[in-house]
Amino acid sequence: MLNYIWGGLIVLSLVFALTSDITDFVQDTYRNGTPLPVTIIFEEEYHADTRRQYVEVQLSGTDLAAHYGDSTMTGNTWPGVLLQTSAGRELRFAEEASLTEPLQTICQETGQEDCRGALQGIPAGTEWQTAITFRPVRWVKMNAIAGAALDFARTAVTLALGLIGGLGLWMGLLKIAEASGMLQALVRFTQPLIRPLFPKVPKDHPALGLIVLNLSANMLGMGNAATPLGIKAMQELQTLNETEDTATDPMVMLLTMNTASVQILPPVTLVAIMGLQINQLFFSILITTGLSLIVGITAVKLLGRLKRYREVTS
Amino acid sequence: MNIVQLFLDYASALVLPAILVGFPLYGMIRKVRVYEVFVDGAKEGFHVAVMIIPYLIAILFAIGMFRASGAMDFLTDLLRPVVGLIGIPAEVIPMGIVRPLTGSGSVGIVLDMISQFGEDSIFVKMAATMFGSTETTFYVIAVYFGAVNIRKTRHAVPAGLIADIFAMIAAVYVVLFLFG
Repeated sequence: MLNYIWGGLIVLSLVFALTSDITDFVQDTYRNGTPLPVTIIFEEEYHADTRRQYVEVQLSGTDLAAHYGDSTMTGNTWPGVLLQTSAGRELRFAEEASLTEPLQTICQETGQEDCRGALQGIPAGTEWQTAITFRPVRWVKMNAIAGAALDFARTAVTLALGLIGGLGLWMGLLKIAEASGMLQALVRFTQPLIRPLFPKVPKDHPALGLIVLNLSANMLGMGNAATPLGIKAMQELQTLNETEDTATDPMVMLLTMNTASVQILPPVTLVAIMGLQINQLFFSILITTGLSLIVGITAVKLLGRLKRYREVTS
Repeated sequence: MNIVQLFLDYASALVLPAILVGFPLYGMIRKVRVYEVFVDGAKEGFHVAVMIIPYLIAILFAIGMFRASGAMDFLTDLLRPVVGLIGIPAEVIPMGIVRPLTGSGSVGIVLDMISQFGEDSIFVKMAATMFGSTETTFYVIAVYFGAVNIRKTRHAVPAGLIADIFAMIAAVYVVLFLFG
């Protein structure tokens, strides 16, 4: 199923990006090549021989609405710079200017360093009525998905490498727990509770103890500890696996218990966002997570019986 | 409720230090060469982290592309009438879609909703309950199965998604029941 979802995500992104870009093209959302009327207000007055001059850029609501065909647009004044080169006059919006859409998108797409467009006519006085032509904007979404793919691939590596410290710490501690007999004691103590869910794990197997630790860490909202513990539990379960690359029943159960999440305490991230409000949500989260855990466990048990998901035995 | 919570707060604050000190201490009592054994185990941390990289890249880049393509908005519109039938407000649909895909994305959605509806709003309560009661399913699959090189996930994805969908619906009703 993961194959279909994964492929589906990629194909769907292409379809949607293409649809959105073609719509932009057909409707000419960004009015490529058409000049937009603009008023440029000089701080003092226009100097013909100055290369850079700080100006105010005024766009009227009616002009914007008519230009982009969106009657809800309102006008505003933004800071900018008038650049004079031998090639002509260009207006550059200041980097901190927060523009209205679709200007914001135009700027993001065209400005290599910042947002600019060519101006028509010759300035005079302190206020100059002119028109600005931006560079053409095309394939916004196609560029966006390509950029996102690279970004997220990098994020994946950062995330994985960020786990090294926590993983190392927990793997070390767990090795001590194993060597000292602590883990085995935990297994004997908790297996009556946990083994019914993992009937295929042999009695007294260390995996059971690690599963208990992983689930406890989850319950207490300790996500940082839960991940290494869960990975270690998976490694123990993998030693029981007869195949190399196919999940076993206990693995699927452990995974689902983790994705359904068994939390008594809300996760740290949510506490950080919600602040004191989180106290009110204590029970709603507890009830929801408890119910979804039951549903998840039932789903694993029932789906596991389907022919297509039956365990591979060699 | 407050006593339970207080206890849990203390428990979660004390458990970690207790383990950090308790495991090596108990090991020393049982005459384990704690330092040597620790280093031996910790070696694996790097190996595991590197093992999961390909799995994470695969999952995250597909999700990243999907989010950037604007498909999420389309899905929200598509689901609006369907979930409306079972009484789920359209405001919380984005949360339901994003939650299994990305953790940071769902944090962003909760923050957006707080600024849009206010902290006390019932929609924020629903979204926060969704956030708190489920996990980033695809990330968990990539990390846990990636660490042991499991590629054929069998019913892990459907089971996880069933639990997620149920949690999204349950969150709405539980919040309505408690606060509505």
